[in-house]
Amino acid sequence: MQRATSYAVVLILVLAALAAAETSRQEMHFKVGRRASVSIVNQYGAISVKPGPGKVVAVTAILYSSKVEIDHSKSRRRVAVFSHLLEGADAETGRVDYEVLVPADASVTLHSMTGPLHVEKLRGDMMVEGSTANVDVRDVSAGHIHIKTLNGAVTLTNASDEHVEITSVGGDVALNAVNGSLVHVNSNSGKIHYDGDFGDAGDYSLTTHSGDIEAIAPAYASIEVVARSVQGTVEKDFPLEPEHTSFVPRAGSAFAGTMGEAASSVKLLSFSGKIHLKKR
Amino acid sequence: MTCEEFRRVLPELGSGHGFEQEEHLKSCCECSDLLADLNAISQQARLLQGSESPSPWVWNSIEVALRQEGLIRQPQLEHPRTPAPLLGWRLRWLVPLGATLVLVFGVLIYQRGTGHPQVVQQPSPPAGVVTANLQPADVMGGEDLQLLKSVGERMPSMRATYEADLRSVNAYIRDAEQSANSNPNDEVAQQYLRNAYEQKAMVYEMALDRSLP
Repeated sequence: MQRATSYAVVLILVLAALAAAETSRQEMHFKVGRRASVSIVNQYGAISVKPGPGKVVAVTAILYSSKVEIDHSKSRRRVAVFSHLLEGADAETGRVDYEVLVPADASVTLHSMTGPLHVEKLRGDMMVEGSTANVDVRDVSAGHIHIKTLNGAVTLTNASDEHVEITSVGGDVALNAVNGSLVHVNSNSGKIHYDGDFGDAGDYSLTTHSGDIEAIAPAYASIEVVARSVQGTVEKDFPLEPEHTSFVPRAGSAFAGTMGEAASSVKLLSFSGKIHLKKR
Repeated sequence: MTCEEFRRVLPELGSGHGFEQEEHLKSCCECSDLLADLNAISQQARLLQGSESPSPWVWNSIEVALRQEGLIRQPQLEHPRTPAPLLGWRLRWLVPLGATLVLVFGVLIYQRGTGHPQVVQQPSPPAGVVTANLQPADVMGGEDLQLLKSVGERMPSMRATYEADLRSVNAYIRDAEQSANSNPNDEVAQQYLRNAYEQKAMVYEMALDRSLP
């Protein structure tokens, strides 16, 4: 038994050494101008983008085999980096993990099937797309955020003064402290969770087909809210001032009304999921 | 000041002009009209730049697509040559033989394990999807099947994901259409429908993205 364990440990070490020998690291640096545009297209693997010092885009890539290589192109304001799969590459051998530092005002476009995708502390626009990739965006401001996933979960945290559009078929979407002139979430079977104050006199629309919606807001929230579920139930913890609507609110399946000065418009719509407007 | 002198200094005038130029403009309709035209063009150009200039994403996407199609390449990069196939042509006869053995082995194991005739099961849609009135045969249209075939060829591991997502989105479209037909004046019902089609467009867009394998 002891011998078998020893053999197993040796085998694991040998495999780990082989795996380590296969990985390689590449670093690239690009000088860019103001409000640069940075695009990373990676079929398999993670992409993490953070702000870095100066007007430089610094890319560190970990390649997991020789069946993938990195291409890039650059102009004064634009940097594009691509993972280039070679013959026979798959999700393991074609994997590349990127860590990218960009100027805080840069616009970024990230694309990965498997992810995860992470962006933080940027002020520019961002387009983030992944199939099964989980997406995590945090501490961003004053830009347009477009996120698309098939089944990857989306988390957006601490985003202010933003224009947000998120579309996901099966991924859960969580928005924490997200404010903006426009915040639209379009999901199919994923759950939508919002925890914030619906600020910025914005237009908030959280819509799903079969997923549940949970929106948590403080008592001081200033909103005009409509919640409807065709086949599911709706619930609220707030007393709302009634208002005229184009539909007949039915207890348990729809409600509408205002709180405070009704600065923001909030639509919570699910076809067959449950909707709950909670008080924080 | 003559017209020729005025036109020579015209590019440097900017928004203001001196006494001499002012006097010339008062006396010369041609130069005055020329200046007015230039100012109008300049203002329109500024408006055009704001409204018509595509986002950098557009240029990036075009470049990615061209690169992946092999229409443009980076001259300074030298890619390693494509590795040789794992099996030489002399050994390729092993592939069908292996596949046959695996198939026979699988059938034997299955028959011993169940003793029942094989039943093809339809993939079940994701949990929570409304499918009460759906028949599997009409959930997937011809275009969807074509798309799945394309995905299966390019990304076999993603085919099941796309199939489940297409079924899910089609169920959404079906429900939204029924709701919109029942309540044609209901703005929310119309929004469900728009969202459902937006999701379907996204699934197609991702499946056909040439920057992915």
